Amino acid sequence: MRILLVEDDPLLGDGVRAGLKLADYAVDWVRDGEAGRLALLDQTYDACVLDLGLPRRDGLSLLRELRGRGNATPVLILTARDSSADKVAGLDAGADDYLVKPFDLAELQARLRALIRRAGGAASPTLSHAGVVLDPAGKRVSLEQQVVALSAREFALLHDLLSHKNRIRSRAELEESLYAWGEETESNTVEVYIHHLRKKFGADFIRTVRGLGYVVGDAG
Amino acid sequence: MIGRFGVFRRFARFDPRPKSLRARLLLTISLTSVLVWGVAGVASYHQALHEADELLDGQLSQSAKLLLSLASRPDAEAMASNSLPRPLDDDDLHPYEQHMEFMVLDAADRVLLRSAHAPDLPLPNRSDPEATFVDLNHAGQPWRMLSLRSPDGRYQVRIAHPIQDRQNVGLEVAAQVAIPILLALPLLAVLVYFSVRGSLRPLEELAADVAARSPDNLEPLPEASTLRETQPLVAALNRLLARLAATLDNERRFTADAAHELRTPLAAVKIQAQVALASTDVADHSHALRQVLAGADRATRLVEQLLRLARLDPLARLPQTRRFDLAALAAGVVEDMRAQADAKQQTLGFVAPTAPIMLYGDADLLGVALRNLIENALRYTPVSGVIEVCAEMHEQPRLIVRDSGPGVDAEEAPRLLERFYRGQAAALAEHSDGSGLGLAITQRIAELHGARLEIDNRPSGGLEARLRWTGKPPTGDQQ
Repeated sequence: MRILLVEDDPLLGDGVRAGLKLADYAVDWVRDGEAGRLALLDQTYDACVLDLGLPRRDGLSLLRELRGRGNATPVLILTARDSSADKVAGLDAGADDYLVKPFDLAELQARLRALIRRAGGAASPTLSHAGVVLDPAGKRVSLEQQVVALSAREFALLHDLLSHKNRIRSRAELEESLYAWGEETESNTVEVYIHHLRKKFGADFIRTVRGLGYVVGDAG
Repeated sequence: MIGRFGVFRRFARFDPRPKSLRARLLLTISLTSVLVWGVAGVASYHQALHEADELLDGQLSQSAKLLLSLASRPDAEAMASNSLPRPLDDDDLHPYEQHMEFMVLDAADRVLLRSAHAPDLPLPNRSDPEATFVDLNHAGQPWRMLSLRSPDGRYQVRIAHPIQDRQNVGLEVAAQVAIPILLALPLLAVLVYFSVRGSLRPLEELAADVAARSPDNLEPLPEASTLRETQPLVAALNRLLARLAATLDNERRFTADAAHELRTPLAAVKIQAQVALASTDVADHSHALRQVLAGADRATRLVEQLLRLARLDPLARLPQTRRFDLAALAAGVVEDMRAQADAKQQTLGFVAPTAPIMLYGDADLLGVALRNLIENALRYTPVSGVIEVCAEMHEQPRLIVRDSGPGVDAEEAPRLLERFYRGQAAALAEHSDGSGLGLAITQRIAELHGARLEIDNRPSGGLEARLRWTGKPPTGDQQ
């Protein structure tokens, strides 16, 4: 799961990035509105955490431009103003949720989970397929009610595949979802983690679609 | 009601009780009316008395002549021997008839005729003129008496009537004037009361309008419906209300902005602390804790700047000034900042003037202002940049800080002095610990010293910030 963080304040940005990394998100952090716009043009993100007061291009204008392009990336805005007018303006500009500073790390993580879940079309807080149940909040995975231990990367990969159930995920998409900018990726790491997951959940739990990528469930 | 009106209270400052305009008007108009009518009543009494004197003296004289002519008749002697058959009874008096007593005497002072109750009227002096009016006392009351002698000297008549009657006539006339007035007085008072109240109603409405004003409602008072007399007052109040509204608006915006500005460092502290608690990695843990400290430092600095600004903002002028050398002050500040410049391998130079620049002001505050300008220059000038500080005297003193940094965009320049505005350079800098208040504080300090803060890009690149004294600098006699 890859998240774009647009926050100009160095201390707050650093904290949010660290906090989201603790929840195994890959976080790209940009520090002005223009850089945020370019990043959203360039990459696909599972969610965006957007501060409203930004240099070079303010958050609301960035949000309107994003929605104007038809980009449906879930966006959670951070605002220093708790007046309802500001919240309404943010939601009307296309935000999916908001948090007023100062906020709780746990609440930020929970709201992001909910945003990502709803964007994938799921109402249930857990993701499941063929006896495998993934609980994003508890960071637990079970197979037939038996808890299965996964590494952080394995968990993130499984989370991505389950949230895009029945859709083919390319190797590049999965890589982007696992790694933030600047994190070193070794070649064929995705294959390695897929291999680990197949060992734990069965060989045909994740199917390979030749030349396209991987899928959990029916590729339609 | 009027007393609630502060402006009136101020005018009445020597009297502890507020004066009522309505009571004063009511009292003045009523007393004046009573006085005028009282004078009119007394005057008509005196006039009536005078008229009654003339009329009744004439009547006495006429009656005396009638009696004399009776006495001169041939049978008068006979009448004298019989006296009057029966004296006239007072009860027979016609209601408007004057009570009158008389006696007719012959040359030997024998009484020929007399009225029933005629008193023994004293004899007139022989040497008196033929007709003499005398006021005398008889039977305990004053009388008016006329003595008249016949031209041949054989008879004389004395005829008198009580002066009281005359006074009664005067009083009657005066009463005829006074009674309608007394009856009309309450009516007049009521009329005066309502007319005064009606005239003062716009004042009461104005007072209610003013009373309805509060920090939440500082709308201008309506000017259309006011009296011409209160228009200057309403205009002055409206100017005051406008100034109040602007000040309050500023303060509210500043408080709101300040609160919002504090939220960001607080959010950073909170999230970093939570990251520190959740981190299992030792390096991540200690990094997050260091960030908590940095956030606390930034919040502290922001609060200090806010307090400084809050203290400077309401000042109309510097509370204490002394004479000092601006050049020496600048040299001292530059020396204090040298370590910071060295840490970034920046060159910090000071160009001293040839003579001291003596001026009145608050040296500590000017030190803060200059330090803010130099800090900005150090912060935004890249490593191994050059910062130059000048103290100059061109008729008026100037403090100049030049740097070799990136300068500012033309569109950004006017916003630099806005409170809480952080330039783009600040937002993108690796360690942006500025509060966005430094230049606002510097500008306020400049204002208090009769100086201006000007910021321009230099033609050769970099930024130049100037403190330029424009007006009369504060003098030593300020307290």
